Amino acid sequence: MADEVEDRSGDDAALRRLLRERLPRYPPPPHLRAAIIEAATPIGPRRGWSTLWMPPAAAAAAMAMIMLLWIAPSLPSATAGDPIRLLARVVISEHARTILWGESRPDVVPAALPRAMEESGVALSWVFTGDDSIQLVNAQPIYLEGRRAIELAYRDADGHAVTYVILPAGTLALPERGRVQIDRWRPLIRMESGFSLIIWKQQNLLCVLVSDLVSDADLAKFKEYFVKVRSSTEPYAVY
Amino acid sequence: MTDDAFLQQALRHLEALHNLAVYLTRNGSEAEDLVQETYVRALRFSHRFQPGTYLRAWLFQILRNTFLTFYRLRERESAISEDGIAEGEAPMFHDSPEQDSERSAVHMDLERALMRLPEEFKTPLLLAEVEGLPLEEVARIMGCPIGTVKSRIFRAKERLRGHLKDYGEDSKV
Repeated sequence: MADEVEDRSGDDAALRRLLRERLPRYPPPPHLRAAIIEAATPIGPRRGWSTLWMPPAAAAAAMAMIMLLWIAPSLPSATAGDPIRLLARVVISEHARTILWGESRPDVVPAALPRAMEESGVALSWVFTGDDSIQLVNAQPIYLEGRRAIELAYRDADGHAVTYVILPAGTLALPERGRVQIDRWRPLIRMESGFSLIIWKQQNLLCVLVSDLVSDADLAKFKEYFVKVRSSTEPYAVY
Repeated sequence: MTDDAFLQQALRHLEALHNLAVYLTRNGSEAEDLVQETYVRALRFSHRFQPGTYLRAWLFQILRNTFLTFYRLRERESAISEDGIAEGEAPMFHDSPEQDSERSAVHMDLERALMRLPEEFKTPLLLAEVEGLPLEEVARIMGCPIGTVKSRIFRAKERLRGHLKDYGEDSKV
């Protein structure tokens, strides 16, 4: 090899030929073309009956949300003066929207993330994209109570939806009451309207993880998801 | 031009874009992400593309800019693989079992030598010498004068020759 190059030292044509003929080319994998076309196709009313089917856990959560929306107007409002509860409710609404109408599109997550970061004003230097037990299936910018935010949608192996919302913390302070030690962190845990929420502050951002994992066993699982997300995601505000 | 027609035209250059993406990112899955993001951006800004101009060069430009924006920060972290060799110096895939060992060795040395080049040398060299783009287009992609492109390609070749000689001498030891 060295001799070959030495012989051709200064010979541009030879080096060009070497590069063109011997440098390995990497053709795109077959699925990449399909993924690009899928990512480029606008999300519209192209949903068929087959995609209306939901796993049982998601269907149960959807039913719970429909019931909540049905009876919510008749309930006395207790959110006034409790910013955490207000936050919990808007995040739950967003979570419900994701369950009911959000699309699971893990194939477009790599492309969706930069756009979601750009449009939400929340950047992620590291992001937990999943493992054997839970997977990141969508990322999108959202608008919550007048603030831009980013939403990361996860789906666990049992079909439970877990939504991770990150938004500017502003002046909101998290109360001590309700905080629980999980691994090396002490986030706030709330139960609201049949959903579990884990809330914490990170880099002057407010982070909320919401799910329908509410039983003791499920809550333990939810805490595990929190540890995974908390330890592997580094958000920061870019505005 | 409709989005669909634009996408179909743009997809003709998928192979070349993916190849460059692999050499920039040095990682198969990151290369796929980079290419996908390139197409998403190209479609989003397709109204800025003037039909009749060089679509391939425009796509290469988007790919490079996206790489510099989203991927290069990680490159600066100078990842070290388990065997202690900087990842940039390690060959990437080598999944061509049908090739004989001598030819594979040439591939590996050439690839390894190329990986040691800085991006501003590697990209114009690949675009001009491997993809066959005219220097004017390479200059547009790189956002610099043609003279600078020529100089970088010249220096890239010099360095490449030097690296290849190093590997040749190393292999004799």
